[in-house]
Amino acid sequence: MDIALAVTPVVLITLLIGLRGVAAMRTTSDFLVASRRISPFVNSAAVSGEYLSAASFLGVAGLMVKDGAGALWYPVGFTAGYIAMLVLVAAPMRRSGALTVPDFAEARLASPALRRLAAVVVLVIGTIYVVPQFRTAGLVLTAVGGTPYWVGVVIAGTAVSVTLALGGMRAATYVQAFQFFLKLVLFLVPALWLVLHVGAADRDASLKPVEFTHFSRETPVEFRHEVTLTLNEPTTVLEDGTSRTLPPGQLPVHEGDRLVFAPGAQVPAVSGETPLGGPSWQRPLLQVHEGHPLLGTWAVLIATVLGTMGLPHVLMRFHTSPDGRAARRTAAITVALLGVFYLFPGIYGVLGRVLVPELYLSGETDTVVVALPLQIDRGWAGQLVTALLTAGAFAAFLATSLGLLLVMSGALAYDLMPGGLRRLRVTVVFAAAAMVVLALPSARLDAGILVTWGFTVAASTFCPLLVLGIWWPRLTAAGAIGGVLTGLVASSGSILFALAGPPLHGWVAILVSQPAPWSVPLAFGVMAAVSLRGRPPSWAAAAMLRLHLDERGPGPEPPHSSAPASRSSTVRRVARRLNR
Amino acid sequence: MSRTKRVAVTSPQTRLARSRRQSRGRWRMPRLRASEAERAAALYRIQRRRGIPALVAMFVLVLGLPVVFTLAPALDALRVCGIPLSWLMIVLLPYPVMAGLAWWQLRRAEKAEDD
Repeated sequence: MDIALAVTPVVLITLLIGLRGVAAMRTTSDFLVASRRISPFVNSAAVSGEYLSAASFLGVAGLMVKDGAGALWYPVGFTAGYIAMLVLVAAPMRRSGALTVPDFAEARLASPALRRLAAVVVLVIGTIYVVPQFRTAGLVLTAVGGTPYWVGVVIAGTAVSVTLALGGMRAATYVQAFQFFLKLVLFLVPALWLVLHVGAADRDASLKPVEFTHFSRETPVEFRHEVTLTLNEPTTVLEDGTSRTLPPGQLPVHEGDRLVFAPGAQVPAVSGETPLGGPSWQRPLLQVHEGHPLLGTWAVLIATVLGTMGLPHVLMRFHTSPDGRAARRTAAITVALLGVFYLFPGIYGVLGRVLVPELYLSGETDTVVVALPLQIDRGWAGQLVTALLTAGAFAAFLATSLGLLLVMSGALAYDLMPGGLRRLRVTVVFAAAAMVVLALPSARLDAGILVTWGFTVAASTFCPLLVLGIWWPRLTAAGAIGGVLTGLVASSGSILFALAGPPLHGWVAILVSQPAPWSVPLAFGVMAAVSLRGRPPSWAAAAMLRLHLDERGPGPEPPHSSAPASRSSTVRRVARRLNR
Repeated sequence: MSRTKRVAVTSPQTRLARSRRQSRGRWRMPRLRASEAERAAALYRIQRRRGIPALVAMFVLVLGLPVVFTLAPALDALRVCGIPLSWLMIVLLPYPVMAGLAWWQLRRAEKAEDD
């Protein structure tokens, strides 16, 4: 069983290190503060390990098959976000002593209402971010092992919640760091193997895309949702061993239909999608077929760059650095590490277009990466590489979901309904179950929207809150609440409308499905306008400047203390609370 | 080997104090000593001044490259080693430049704190 071989080691290692985490943990202050000694390099590997989700490992290559070469902009945005993080957020966030954004909100603005609102936003972002992870797990296990979709989703949910419940709430830095290098190897080695083993003709075809390629072999395609195919020439399909030729024209396909294309049949187009390999597919920009490539590309870039700054699970990682300076170094090294990883998704994308066009038809492009090796080699080598890639994908979604579920449980059990350690543990299980239930019906959602949705909400809520909170002394609690609420409603409402509402076209469609270009300025604007109408409290300037004071400043306090007594230390408060 | 059960040893007063605390802990007004405030204000200004060019450079790179592709579609037809030049640019150009930019900004930000 390939899947068992691939997935079991990853799950076992994670479980083992989780148990080891329990054994090594003596006190709750260990749990929260011991990891403050993590060096910038290890921590940046951990940040990258947590950040490289299913969207990075599988999604980018899948989007490239679906939308064209422009999908390579997604990872550019994912990486550029860490430069914004480095400049604007990393050091001050660490120096605030706040573990999470709700903590930060209270430390900077002293508003319990804002704290609860921020916790709700954490839950929203976490949900939007975890559901695609589980969805991809389901799709991948279906593609590799033929299990039904729900099996993969349930396995994913169980693995994550059991790991968290057994391994405790510890952000296991070394697991995440190890997982970054694991993922890098599991992504890089198969990519090189593919490039070396692919036939010269396929390699040539992948670099010189033509619209409407032909199936090179008998290809069954199972459709899980309704699409309309456009046949441009008489196309031969096989039915029960006999061949039948379909006339050119529109061909509606229903859910559950199965078509077997004969060797040499032309790959049909899917109406409403970028034509596979066509001129708009080749352009290195997004939304070319909607006619507004620049807007489409910018919308994704703005969401991913600014959204990275507000992802709660990433912000939490920065806290394990010893001080603000190390947090800043962590962000800088992360840029380099991600840059290495993101050199490779394009290889899977260009090969996938040539070798597995059937995934484009069935809409399951997220499985391109794991479907590729068997197209090149059906023997043990292909099986082994598939197993490696499946393991990497599993590690990817495991690391990300662990971090996110932890943050979500924290928001529930610490910010919204304060309780002890036990409640935190129970919350994890319930949160994971809720995510599984949400992931079950989301198999057919558009992958491109799912990938940027979480980023868009983060960019429209936490990005303005953090940037203005750190750099603008006049920000008031009322302004922050107004801005965060506006951003949350605008971005989520717009995307929900895009998913459920009537089909739109042109630039309106782009701005509705990728609302970051207007929702982020709107949130900033509301936050600034409401703040300017009010008066910041007398201590506001001190609260902001405190974030910029480096740890080695003058004064009688010992240089090693990372949390001088005069500063509010959320960590100390959390530790005290959990120790009860 | 029998394991002894571990018990928490705390003074009754501590236990009482802990059981009483329901809220998350009081919010404390942030205070800065005069010398600290001065240094923090100086650092705030210098980091803001040094951060803006790095941010601008990042946005120019990330948002500017799509403009280049829009204005020069010929880049798609140019090929280096058989690969369209625009595909190579989108993969090989941004990451090293961003890593360099991050390094440059890190050096500048740390220097500001060293002086």
